[in-house]
Amino acid sequence: MITTVTIFTPLLGAILVMLLPDEERLLRYTALGVAAVPVLLSVYLYFAFGDDLGVAALSQDVTWIRSLNIGYRVGLDGLGFGMFFLSTFLTVIAILASWDVRRNLKQYFAAIFVAEVGMLGVFAAQDLILFYIFFEITLIPMYLLVGVWGDENRRPAAIKFFIYTFLGSTVMLAGFLAFGILADTYAMDALGGGGGLSRTAQIAVAAPILFGLLVKVPAVPLHSWLLDVYVSSPTSTNVLLSGVLPKLGTYGLIAVAIPLLPQGVEPFLPYVAAFGVINIIYGSFVAFMQPDLKALVAYSSIGTLGFILLGAASGNAVGLNGAVFQQVSHGLYSALLFILVGVVAARTGTRRIEDLGGLAARMPWAGGLLALGALAAMGLPGLAVFVSEFMSIMGVYATFPVQGVLAALGIILSAMYLLYMLARVIFGPIERPAYDEVGDAGPAEMAAVVPLAVLLVVLGIFPALLINVQRPAVDAVLSAIGGS
Amino acid sequence: MTGQAFIALLPELISTGFLILVLMVGVFSDSNVGISASLAAIGTLAVFASAAVLLASGFSGSFFGDGFVVDGFALYFKLIVAGSAFFAVLAAARWADQTGDAPEYLTLILSVVLGSTLLVSMRDLFGIFLAIELATIPSYAMVAFDRSRRESAEGGMKYLITGVIASSVLLYGIVLIYGVSGSAMLSDVADTFTGTLTPVAVLGLVLMVSGFAFKLSAAPFHFWTPDAYQGAPTSAAAFLSVGPKAATFAILLRILLEGMPGAAPTWTAVMAFLAIITMFVGNLFALRQRNVRRMLAYSSVAHSGYILAAFAALQGGGVAFAVQAVLIYTAAYAVMNMGAFLVIDLVGEDAKSFNGLVRTNPGVAASMALFMAALVGIPPLSGFFGKLWIIIAGAPTGSILVYIVVGALVVNTVLSVPYYFGIIRNMLFEEPTTDTVTSKGSGAVRFSVYVLAVLTTLFGLLIIPLSALVGASGLA
Repeated sequence: MITTVTIFTPLLGAILVMLLPDEERLLRYTALGVAAVPVLLSVYLYFAFGDDLGVAALSQDVTWIRSLNIGYRVGLDGLGFGMFFLSTFLTVIAILASWDVRRNLKQYFAAIFVAEVGMLGVFAAQDLILFYIFFEITLIPMYLLVGVWGDENRRPAAIKFFIYTFLGSTVMLAGFLAFGILADTYAMDALGGGGGLSRTAQIAVAAPILFGLLVKVPAVPLHSWLLDVYVSSPTSTNVLLSGVLPKLGTYGLIAVAIPLLPQGVEPFLPYVAAFGVINIIYGSFVAFMQPDLKALVAYSSIGTLGFILLGAASGNAVGLNGAVFQQVSHGLYSALLFILVGVVAARTGTRRIEDLGGLAARMPWAGGLLALGALAAMGLPGLAVFVSEFMSIMGVYATFPVQGVLAALGIILSAMYLLYMLARVIFGPIERPAYDEVGDAGPAEMAAVVPLAVLLVVLGIFPALLINVQRPAVDAVLSAIGGS
Repeated sequence: MTGQAFIALLPELISTGFLILVLMVGVFSDSNVGISASLAAIGTLAVFASAAVLLASGFSGSFFGDGFVVDGFALYFKLIVAGSAFFAVLAAARWADQTGDAPEYLTLILSVVLGSTLLVSMRDLFGIFLAIELATIPSYAMVAFDRSRRESAEGGMKYLITGVIASSVLLYGIVLIYGVSGSAMLSDVADTFTGTLTPVAVLGLVLMVSGFAFKLSAAPFHFWTPDAYQGAPTSAAAFLSVGPKAATFAILLRILLEGMPGAAPTWTAVMAFLAIITMFVGNLFALRQRNVRRMLAYSSVAHSGYILAAFAALQGGGVAFAVQAVLIYTAAYAVMNMGAFLVIDLVGEDAKSFNGLVRTNPGVAASMALFMAALVGIPPLSGFFGKLWIIIAGAPTGSILVYIVVGALVVNTVLSVPYYFGIIRNMLFEEPTTDTVTSKGSGAVRFSVYVLAVLTTLFGLLIIPLSALVGASGLA
């Protein structure tokens, strides 16, 4: 019941902000207050049920469409909990970081809240059709967030985003339906290990599901919708767009495709790992060449998503734990970087890397945190991303050595472009006299980024805080796929 | 007439009664729009209520020498017809007032209701033909009713000519089937239409299906649709595209399942081809339209294609699901398409008149966005469930042709995104133009739009259980 309450609290928030008078301060504080409720609830869940998320108190099973055996089935487990928490957390951060949104603030917050319902629902759904419905509920609010509040290139970006991901998820739905029809249920707990399907049937079902999930991630040849969307979005939308949305795809891979269709996914795993490597290397090279700071961060974000694919494909405990962990650490660092890019662009009026320079002197806090984010992105030990990338590489090396070695190489590439970026943007002499006037990040901006930086450090030093929660669920996945 | 038969005919008797009443108002009173519109609205609600009571009480049976059947299936479609007619009456009232012929127009709506409700209960091919004509002939007049616009007369003329040809093709097919079977009763026809069909039987079947394809605006017999829907008064286009159409789908389903189960391999193949062509034609032409009414006309062609896809799945293990898919899809289409047409009544038919609507009229804009998203098939809105059931019905058939049809449905769903979202884009992203009219249309239409938006959104909770209740009850 508490899971359902957490999922739908944001919906009440959406209705509430729509009813409020059009006054900026009131709207911002109300939205913040409502968004805090799911965070507190999920923190409570962590401390009360962290050891054993599988308890009945957290799950609910109501039959919805009897003839098809579709139900409202939700519950939490270690695979989804990290992202469930992160979605609530990043929603608060997104609302804090929404300073660049000035018009139609009500509708903006309402769209964010509706998107949050979809995101939370995906990480809690225990029924394939429900999973799909929540998956799609995020689509329209995200389309609106980009299309209404983005920059001048927003309209083609938004429609491109919509058509691509809608195509992907429709194909995924076809796979889910075929699966449910063959296995005669859509309940995930009854489908574990393939739901009694033959290997051939599993492969046939897994192919469309994997396609849909990989478009959502996006894995590199399927990524062409992404850049325009990331670059055109307002900062606070970027937080959700890069922090949570790709994980709908990777979570589907780890929690739905792999444990429910182990034999069907198995022949595709080397390719999934290869996609991961391509993401890392392609992302690094393209990021290197970006003249725009936001585009650089966007490609960096695509690149490090590759580690989730690698870990997921590894099929062993280390790799899977790394992948589940990387979902969270990727969300933290990419949200941090996108917000700081927003701060830099707002202060200097440009995102062109060659026009920037020497910002550390004028904005020590923002510059320092940008450096921290970049160091996190390149996998510096002591920060959360290091733990998860390291585990993913270790895991995948045991299964697919070639992909493992190439991925490790990718870390070096990412260090190169990120350090080069830091050198040009925040270090060196001040490029332009105008930047002498530039101030540091303000209190609202700091409030949005400091929690992210703190979590990156805390999870980097005490990874067990999260790994202990996810381990039982990862073990369950391993027993479903017959690995170790 | 026995008591039971009287109860069975209750929805039809009620609509006949109100039809006469509304017509009398026109004869005896001059300033009559209020009375006649209220009577027509009450009439449609009474038909709806009587069908709902019959459905809830589980009433079923065969009457008049087995030619008239009342079962869950028939009553469900009577609900759709009466419900959509209610909204059409609300939308028509104010407009019909301006023409000065409100009672006549409302009488036409009620006679379409009478024909359509009769139609879904018929079990005899000639009775079916008569009921179809009873529903269609008034609809020609409805389309041509708007004397202030030339398009209306043109659309009505085209609709009349193609409609008459369609009726004769249909009748010719029915006569051939009658000739082969020696009886027009579906149960007798079923005895003849098994095994290898004689050439005459195949010809009869093909002609009958072609006649229906005209009526359902399935490609390549769809060409009257855009002109008729563009020319027709909005309430007429809104009603004709959902209510009578649902009833026509229902009776086609009954004919095929009760009258020709043995010939299923033949007609499912025909349906599969019709479905594929219709989906592609509808969507590809809709992509090019700038006039929203014309776009919705082509969209209705595409949706006929989707429903025909369910007909193609009426084989193997897919039958029960396919019947339910038709039940769900017609209801889903009724709420979302009715809503979209009524928004046109409020806003205008040029795509430009939707520009910036979210700023000038957020409530109507949000409803229109919901209808458009539902027409695409985005969950959890109504259209999603229709498509879901068709895909589910297609899977257990085990037929490659049906899989191709389902694949075409998925492709077409994505293909349809640009034109539905074009409207959403105009409403959100364009600056309001000076000719964006917001005060047009009555409160009743606005109310209908909101009710339909709620029904579209909560379809999964409200109407899915109802259709599950009805299931395939009564169908052989």
